[in-house]
Amino acid sequence: MNIFISFVLAIISSMLIDNVVLSRFYGICPFLGVSRKVNSSLGMGIAVVFVIILATLICWPLYNYVLVPAGIAFMDTVAYILVIASIVQLVGLFIKKYSPSLYKSLGIYLPLITTNCAVLGVAQSNTDQGLTFLNSIANAMGTSIGFLLIIVTFSCIRVRLESSNTPKAFKGLPIALICAALMAIALVGLQGLFSGIKL
Amino acid sequence: MKREKGYTKKNFLKGIIAENPLFVSILGTCPALATTKTIEAALGMGILFTIVLICSSVLVSLLRKVISEEIRTPAYIVIIATFVTIVKMFTNAFLPELFSTLGVFISLIVVNCIVLGRAEAYASKNNVFDSFIDALGMGLGYTLAILSMALFREILGTGAISFGKIFYFIPYFKLQIIPKNYALSIFQNPAGAFIVFGVILAVIAFITNRKKEYQAYLARQEKIRKAEEAKKLAAQKVAEGGNK
Amino acid sequence: MSKEISLVIAIVVLVALLGIFLITFVAYRKTPLPKGCENLKADDEKCAACSNTECAFAKKEEEK
Repeated sequence: MNIFISFVLAIISSMLIDNVVLSRFYGICPFLGVSRKVNSSLGMGIAVVFVIILATLICWPLYNYVLVPAGIAFMDTVAYILVIASIVQLVGLFIKKYSPSLYKSLGIYLPLITTNCAVLGVAQSNTDQGLTFLNSIANAMGTSIGFLLIIVTFSCIRVRLESSNTPKAFKGLPIALICAALMAIALVGLQGLFSGIKL
Repeated sequence: MKREKGYTKKNFLKGIIAENPLFVSILGTCPALATTKTIEAALGMGILFTIVLICSSVLVSLLRKVISEEIRTPAYIVIIATFVTIVKMFTNAFLPELFSTLGVFISLIVVNCIVLGRAEAYASKNNVFDSFIDALGMGLGYTLAILSMALFREILGTGAISFGKIFYFIPYFKLQIIPKNYALSIFQNPAGAFIVFGVILAVIAFITNRKKEYQAYLARQEKIRKAEEAKKLAAQKVAEGGNK
Repeated sequence: MSKEISLVIAIVVLVALLGIFLITFVAYRKTPLPKGCENLKADDEKCAACSNTECAFAKKEEEK
């Protein structure tokens, strides 16, 4: 029971307190680029959730059971990028063949997920920090669900920003960045949420 | 060889001003926001990024006739990942403080849109010297861009410029510009990074808009002048026709 | 002895990974789009952040 609770808490803390986009700065490129409409950010977020979890499931054993015993731990970056790109292409292949409707909504983002800093960042920081398998999975799930949450929230705000009366120099991206700053400040208020819990 | 004069200079300068990868194309924003807490870290990140960009552009350009059409993108990814691993190991050995400050973001140069984008868009189609100049310009432009962000964040956030912690061969000095009590520490937080980036983009948009308005104004003046000249010419012809 | 074996296994795994990567890449390019998807257009809000100049959906510059 303890393990389950700490697992859930780890997910929530990666999701909200040390949020992947607003605090760790991982997925900024798609965060700023894809978030103009709510539907596209929903699609992008779900695809990222899937890819991050799958990538962590493969990369962690790859590092700890194959690379480290052989003494070539420095090849982790190359190995991870190969794994991530292969996963993305495989998922794309699958969607292309068996689900045209899914391809219509998600297909365009798949090449973009390969260069998403969040996927490689999570895989790399899991092994850099030497987390256990369960902690890595919790980190991955929290990161990806946090990414989905933040990108959907941000796109809802941005849709309303399009029709508001901003100064001409701030139109588009600059005012969106100021909004992201305000969101980051809001999340700072959640820090220390779990500091008193003893498990 | 058909090459207009000054091509190299234009090639080099476009990476710094006209097509600055961070402020104009808005690429590579993840390291730009995360590593700009101090000027030293930003400088280190910029130098490593430039090294990776130059090496991979030159290698891609050397191999551009050898790599077959279908496996171009995978090959570029592998080349860039190899150089990033080499740079990471060198950094770990010679600048360990930089390695622990930048952390994961050195590895994230692999998926930096700028490196892959330059390899696919320019280095795969041009010769080695042009690719080298282009990579140098882009890298320098990116370094200057993140240095400017780090300058604002560090001066407004802590009030001081400090140097010498990461680059240990330079003696440590700290220059307090704003007294510490008046420094706005929000700029050292993630929120401050977004604010600085947004304001810089807004300033650039402002300047660009002014330039465009000025050009439109000049074009309108030109049109008015031409219309008046045409009217004068027509009036002259009428006068001559009347005299005859 | 086991260190050499693990090194060999690791190299085999890496080469296999590279092979899987290349095969999936080429296969993804080669499989045709499912019917109904040929006319997907790019350059709307979805592609603003992408730097992939080789994207299959990008508008061809010469045909503009």
